Amino acid sequence: MIRIGIDVGGTFTDIVAVAEDGTVTFAKATSTPQDPSIGVMDAVNRLAEEMAVDVPALLAQTERVVHGTTVATNALLERKGAKVGLLTTEGHRDVLEMREGLKDERYNMRLAAPDALVPRHLRLGVAERMRAEGVVHAPLDLTSLDAAIDTLKAAEVTSVAVCYLHSYKNSTHEKATRTRLEERMPGVSISLSSEVFPEIKEYERVSTTVVNAYVRPIVGRYLHKLGERLKDTGYDGPVLIILSHGGVAPIDEAVRLAAATVLSGPAGGVAGARHGAALIGAENLVPFDMGGTSTDISMIVDGEPALSTTRGIAGQRIALQSLDIASIASGGGSIASVDSGGILRVGPESAGAMPGPACYGNGGTEVAVTDASVVLGFLNPANFLGGRATLDQAAAEAALDRLAGRLSVERAEAAEGVHRVINTHMAEGIRLVSVRRGVDPRRFALLSFGGAAGIHITDIARQLEVRRVVVPRTAAVLSAWGMLATDLRYEVSRTHVGDTGSLEAEEVRTIYAEMEQEGRRRLADAFDGPVTVRHSADMRYGEQIYEIDVPLDGIDFARTDLMAEVATRFHARHEELFTYSLPDQDAVLVNARLATIGEFAELAARALSRRAGRGCLPGQSADLSWRLAGGAGLQP
Amino acid sequence: MTLSVDPITVSVVQHRLTAIVAEMGEAMLRTSYSQILNSSRDFSTGICDVQCRLVAQAEHIPIHVGALSYAAESVSGYFGDTVKPGDVYLLNDPYFGGSHLPDVTAFVPVFAGEKVVFWTINRAHHSDIGGATHGAYNPTATTIFQEGLRIPPLKLYDQGEVRQDLLDMIATNTRHPRDFKGDLAAQIGSVRGGERRVLALIEEFGAETVMASIETILDSAEQQARAVITAWPNGVYKGEAVLDDDGHGEIDVTIRATVTKSGSDLTIDLTESDPQSKGFLNSSYANMRSAVAMAIAYLIDPETPKNHGSLRPITVKAKRGTIVYSEDGAPVTMCTSHCSNEICEAIIVALSEACPERAMGGWGRRFRVAIQGENPESGRSFIWHMFHARPGAGGSSGGDGWHNAGEWHSAGGLKFGSVELAEARFPLHFRKHEFRPNSAGDGEYRGGNGVELELVMETETPSVVNTAGDGNRHGSRGMVGGEDSKPHHYELHRADGSVRELQTKEILIPVAPGDTFVIHSAGGGGWGNPTKRTAEARALDALNQITTSVDGA
Repeated sequence: MIRIGIDVGGTFTDIVAVAEDGTVTFAKATSTPQDPSIGVMDAVNRLAEEMAVDVPALLAQTERVVHGTTVATNALLERKGAKVGLLTTEGHRDVLEMREGLKDERYNMRLAAPDALVPRHLRLGVAERMRAEGVVHAPLDLTSLDAAIDTLKAAEVTSVAVCYLHSYKNSTHEKATRTRLEERMPGVSISLSSEVFPEIKEYERVSTTVVNAYVRPIVGRYLHKLGERLKDTGYDGPVLIILSHGGVAPIDEAVRLAAATVLSGPAGGVAGARHGAALIGAENLVPFDMGGTSTDISMIVDGEPALSTTRGIAGQRIALQSLDIASIASGGGSIASVDSGGILRVGPESAGAMPGPACYGNGGTEVAVTDASVVLGFLNPANFLGGRATLDQAAAEAALDRLAGRLSVERAEAAEGVHRVINTHMAEGIRLVSVRRGVDPRRFALLSFGGAAGIHITDIARQLEVRRVVVPRTAAVLSAWGMLATDLRYEVSRTHVGDTGSLEAEEVRTIYAEMEQEGRRRLADAFDGPVTVRHSADMRYGEQIYEIDVPLDGIDFARTDLMAEVATRFHARHEELFTYSLPDQDAVLVNARLATIGEFAELAARALSRRAGRGCLPGQSADLSWRLAGGAGLQP
Repeated sequence: MTLSVDPITVSVVQHRLTAIVAEMGEAMLRTSYSQILNSSRDFSTGICDVQCRLVAQAEHIPIHVGALSYAAESVSGYFGDTVKPGDVYLLNDPYFGGSHLPDVTAFVPVFAGEKVVFWTINRAHHSDIGGATHGAYNPTATTIFQEGLRIPPLKLYDQGEVRQDLLDMIATNTRHPRDFKGDLAAQIGSVRGGERRVLALIEEFGAETVMASIETILDSAEQQARAVITAWPNGVYKGEAVLDDDGHGEIDVTIRATVTKSGSDLTIDLTESDPQSKGFLNSSYANMRSAVAMAIAYLIDPETPKNHGSLRPITVKAKRGTIVYSEDGAPVTMCTSHCSNEICEAIIVALSEACPERAMGGWGRRFRVAIQGENPESGRSFIWHMFHARPGAGGSSGGDGWHNAGEWHSAGGLKFGSVELAEARFPLHFRKHEFRPNSAGDGEYRGGNGVELELVMETETPSVVNTAGDGNRHGSRGMVGGEDSKPHHYELHRADGSVRELQTKEILIPVAPGDTFVIHSAGGGGWGNPTKRTAEARALDALNQITTSVDGA
């Protein structure tokens, strides 16, 4: 039996097959953004060719397909999601657009306000109200609901988000609203906040639910079509989608919780890094994926990818557990310039794909980081993209000469400067991400993804005092391979606010037990293997606003002093993250969290059996006669 | 400009310094205890050099920009040669380089060999600093001694050893010593972290190279600021901004700015401003300089570093004894919002003639409400500070103002907490919290709307409320032909059916169980002539009920 991993990128769709003995085969097809399932099926065809079998035969011996998709991400970035209506508690329809009072770019007072994903006239208040303890304060008024539905029907919305106050505690009004919506708007996509993100804090919940409503129809269309195409071609095993938290879920679940697929694309890379970490025995790893316009930084701590609930994308807050991937606006296409004060800057502007760096020869005249890499001899102009393209060295040199003139330095010095500045950006980005996680980057290894990352990694490592760097020979394979090594995962959470000093242990025990039941039940639909359960809680001190994630694994939930033990875990975690704890203060529990993980059998690890990428041509070695200031550990 | 260091090293040093202050801020955000710090982010981090010039500052609350130099001067002037590695210094006194008493500033000296070369600095607004009323905002205060504990420059750690007696003395003088110590610990963690990073920078490049790079960094920021200012027509520009009242019977307290623009220099003359007030609207000198810096920071390019260099083109004239520069001992607690915001507004009004495309409509004024009562569930007393119902931002040539983005001095940097969490933890019920239609000033680009908040007291025993702020009579300023916004209007609807309007400077208003606050906050000022607003924009506003034909809809 074989497993197939499919990673749809902006340009290429990568596909990898791993056989039981660890033999790896991979192929590539051009992505088809209009309907990505076409590109996926092309890739399946290529893979079959590569393995010298026909497609039905290939799929007949496939036990599992794992897929990473950027459909939701692109819908958000390009604002091409559904037309969404939002039903809220009357008197609270602006939570989404209020953004908690925060505005981006503090000193840019002329920054235009962004459009909310749901405009105000489609955000409608409904007469109903729950209290914080889950008691009905005002019953759901069907007349008011019907009036709101009339407006949504007239506006022809295709997706409805429902987010009432305190619905995480009592969801009956949201459920009754769904029933009414199903009657009056048959076929409309419905996202309830009590199902998408049943946690306290209305901004996080409404924003996450709206994102879900916004991307769900498009994600649903795509994934269902993909499932059908695979089925039509003879595949009857499970199709699993990699989610933002790095675990996988069947298509129906990925569609139900479509907001959880926004980091599906990069999650493949992190899964690959995690797998790589396991293979080379590096427990603590910082994967960084340097693209053209941005660099994604994440962390693997003690073999597990770091998760976060404070992420967002395209200005939208998504509070679901997701891999802690930080993006900084620096990449190979970042443009170098000299500001009016004479200081060299690199980025945040990017040369993009067109015209691209000067060395692409498409008429770009400004220096991009890639041009500096050409001038420095890091890139061989005759052998770009493994020989598929050539680079215009003269254009790169001319661009660098102009920059050097403005800085009054030599060409090589300017090129080296561009590298030093971009590397500083990235090193500081990695440092900031690690400070946020409360860890010291020096005990991590750096792992680079993306075509350009290998060029920069040693200097960044030097700046961070990191001793070990890892550059995979073929990152795309690692990515898809990592996906195949990823487990099924369901995240469940419940809000239960209270001081650990006064909470009843029995209630907390019951909550975790219920969550475990739910998680196991969901898992059982697609899985009958061994299940691992992870317990954690979001906690904070009294008036703090940010909760921290406190792992509770290893605690015996039956013990009588359960709450004291939970508090002890919290104080210790606070100390670990922030250097201090306040043991005489009450710890407040806000959300209980539980993950059920269905573990697949491990993949056999084995060297690549078929083609690998082409690196430096034999007999060639770059002329690296210059040296990096400060003595980077690079050897020519 | 003579370059003693190559431009690439300069660039690396600058990026590094910016990252260090950001990291200091990140550490603070994550470790501070009080809501005002970790939620409202009312703190700032920065680095000054040995001449107390601001070298880098993180982007947190704009009113802190440029203020740290004066505090650093005060500490370094007082302690001179006695400063040792491992020392930590504190200060909050507005008459020794501070802004107002709740803002406590912590400093750590960074040494290269035997010499101090930098100060890493953290200024944070503490939830209480003693004084007659909780949280220091005391509209009835007529001297600073009613506002809280004054801390002139003081050594808290002596070569790594905490002076426990001093720390306990200070903490004892606050209402919540544990919170105070927790937040102070976060501040000290932040400045010590900064110290470690700066030391590593010095180790890597050498002190001389770093110092020389800083000259270039400051020169570069200066050039960027001057390049913008030069383009404006030379001339003398005048602007005014008017505060409602001083809380002691004086109304329309006026700040007058005369800005002389010549070449790339700006002279900002505030000497014509009204005499100092009896109440807490007065500004300390350092805070006034910050307000000026904030105005200029808003007008130059947003990406120009906010450091000593970008402020070099500016000369400030102010007269002691005026509202913008009060005599030692006058109360000042309100100054970081008012009169700071009006100093900023007067300058932007003046310069809106010189650079209309850069000027923006007025942002809202602060009108805070603090409720003190008893939680029937726990039987414990509580204090709740209202950060909800934020006013609107001003319109600008860039577009309409942001709804509920706040005041000039915070500029979208203050976060209000979750309504659900507030209801879960306090005896409060939020009946309504939505944009207030028609509250923004009209213009080619209108301001953002303020907010309507209806807040029901679910207490079982009497509570009291203090207010502090301004803007009940004057809305947010329209600019370049745009209109003013509606002012704030706060009411207390009694359970017995009577209605009482809340003034901006009151203390100990009794509030009974079941009483409801009906709060309407101001929108932002409009920018440009309203006749130029497009029909499409107006239709969209009507569709979205940003504007309505009937008020109060």
